[in-house]
Amino acid sequence: MNLAFTLNGRPCATEAPEHWTVLDLLRDGLSLMGTKYGCGEGVCGTCTVLADGRPIRACLVLAAHVRGRALVTVEGLEADGRLDPLQRAFAERGAAQCGFCTPGIMLAAKALLLENSAPTAHEVREALSGNLCRCTGYTKIVEAVLAVAAGPN
Amino acid sequence: MRLHPFGLLEPESLSDALDAVTRLDGEARLVAGGTALIPMIRLGLVKPDRLVSLHRVPELATIRIDGGTLELGAMATHADIERSRAVRDGWPLLAEAVRRVATPAIRTSGTIGGNLAYAEAASDPAPALLCHDAEVRVAGSNGTRAIPINRFFRGFYEAALEPGEIVTSIRVSPTPTGARSGYIKFTSRSAEDKPLVGVAALIVLDPAGRCTDARIGLGGAAPTPIRAEGAERVLSREALTDAVARAAAEAAALEAEPLSDLMGSADYRREMIRVWVRRLLVALRDGTR
Repeated sequence: MNLAFTLNGRPCATEAPEHWTVLDLLRDGLSLMGTKYGCGEGVCGTCTVLADGRPIRACLVLAAHVRGRALVTVEGLEADGRLDPLQRAFAERGAAQCGFCTPGIMLAAKALLLENSAPTAHEVREALSGNLCRCTGYTKIVEAVLAVAAGPN
Repeated sequence: MRLHPFGLLEPESLSDALDAVTRLDGEARLVAGGTALIPMIRLGLVKPDRLVSLHRVPELATIRIDGGTLELGAMATHADIERSRAVRDGWPLLAEAVRRVATPAIRTSGTIGGNLAYAEAASDPAPALLCHDAEVRVAGSNGTRAIPINRFFRGFYEAALEPGEIVTSIRVSPTPTGARSGYIKFTSRSAEDKPLVGVAALIVLDPAGRCTDARIGLGGAAPTPIRAEGAERVLSREALTDAVARAAAEAAALEAEPLSDLMGSADYRREMIRVWVRRLLVALRDGTR
């Protein structure tokens, strides 16, 4: 089937089998490997990307369902070679261990900040509740998101 | 890991969608947000040859108020509903319940019609909709019909839908004046779980503190979401004292028919119903939530 949507700010027209999910489309169709395959059942959150500014599970959403929508993956967070403030905060604060969950966590956090520019720690934890870090280093992740919300430091 | 291959139909109107499911006569499965069906396909629990997606049927996605009644299009997502000003202002119990569905990313995709058609016993929105005596509208090749939600859940993962029928909307009666309501869920592992037990309650107290209206919906308490009618009878016309709250919770625990599963045993569920019904009633009485 034909698919046209916006990917990381640019128009994207491509083809994909009808049974593909957004994750199949990103990784296998478009060779964007930043979005990870974790559980495949929508539980772990590592495949989280944005569709029209809201978080979705790329492993659960059919590729056909993002027709005409604006997708953002971890590759689209930086602009003109400059990291997104979230990426800088994660790097500066060491908010990643093995890093496998990090793309999904950053996009879940991005979705929160797009809707609520000054979240509380509780709201950050709630927004990230569907993103599992098996290295279990949540404290620095929450601190990094709060640091971005607080503005340039 | 790829999904078992299937063909996808994307009708652009309800009549085309009905034609498609009728023509394919049992070979096709409907997909709304996919948050339940896609994992089932991934796990090999179902292997449909065709899916009929409803995502391009615009008339199914609206949220509107019709003469004081809330009408949720079946394809309205949990995220749409939780953000709707009209729902938050007029149906706070429903807004609270949909906010507790899984995680933000699941709520972006998962739909209210899909949630009900899946007929999950541990649904978050269903107990709230039971409290509101919601009506599920469905369309089939023979026309449309309305099913009261207390007759919509027929059994374990079984909705009262005939083959080829599509849920089109859910009509939700207004919140009674002066109502206090809340939804609490207990999850045995982590916040995004389905509820081990979910309790929705909507009560109206007169100036003397007596219950003039008491509605309690339970998730995870039986093979389907249920109203705790025995508990409601205990509350009726009674002053909501600690003892009455305890008696109502006891009645709810006794009328529940919980199942055992990976999240908890039937006995544990029954105990948690006892605790959580009482806790919610007292909190609503005291205005502490």
